[in-house]
Amino acid sequence: MTIGLEHFLVLGALLFGVGLYVALAKRNAIGVLMGVELMLNAVNLTLVAFGRFVESEVALSTSVFVVFIIAVAAAEIAVGLALAMVVYRNRDTINVDRVNLLKW
Amino acid sequence: MDGVGHHLAFWSLAVITVGAALGILVSRNLIHAMVMLILSFIGVAGLYLLLSAEFIAVVQILVYVGAISVLMLFAILLTPRAARDNAETAMRYPGLILMGLVIAATVFVALETDWGAVREEPVAESARIIGQSLINEFVLPFEIAAVLLTAALVGAVALARRDDEDIDAHEQSLTLEGREDSGGSS
Repeated sequence: MTIGLEHFLVLGALLFGVGLYVALAKRNAIGVLMGVELMLNAVNLTLVAFGRFVESEVALSTSVFVVFIIAVAAAEIAVGLALAMVVYRNRDTINVDRVNLLKW
Repeated sequence: MDGVGHHLAFWSLAVITVGAALGILVSRNLIHAMVMLILSFIGVAGLYLLLSAEFIAVVQILVYVGAISVLMLFAILLTPRAARDNAETAMRYPGLILMGLVIAATVFVALETDWGAVREEPVAESARIIGQSLINEFVLPFEIAAVLLTAALVGAVALARRDDEDIDAHEQSLTLEGREDSGGSS
């Protein structure tokens, strides 16, 4: 059996699922960001696998898309960590279940 | 991809990547979880190499393993009084159920769909093609990404820097603590 597109898609699905759980269930805000990064990596892996295995009109446009996703992920993580630092400075915790100022 | 080397590379990298991701899930220390995340990033970079996307693999190592991991480790170490036990919230069981559902649905779709024509040989010179697309048909998104990165970094600095009064108060409290310490020890 050859290593084909399906192998990479299933691997991406597993990574995405684990990242989703980490992002939903972890208590520390930085743990949540780790889950988000894991999900972005899973999506990138899936896109690169499609670019490798599926014929398209514009060659490797998926890889260009992956480059943009990485740039946006870097911006997102910078702002997210800055927000975590601000919350920590004001409330001495970054546990997402204790930051509930906006809870009605 | 049906050589023994391809099989060996894919399965070992898959085990490393998913195993490290599960390590984030179960480890009881946030620093250990971070190390597991770095291992997972490296595994994904290896998979990019296996997919003949050398440029993306290098960018993955540079940006994720090099920059983002260090940034997150800094953030963990700069929040010393926050809990580092990497515990779960009350969303634990809903999260597990959702994770199972998402994985099941995605795997089902991935295996059942006919993905059409399969390219046997990878595209050669991928870095050159990516570079040319970035300055030809994708030049506008490229510029927008540049503006976004600048705005995000300026915003991050603006958020994370203290006000001057805060710094003064912080330094004062530090000197006070230092005096009390030296007074207690002498």
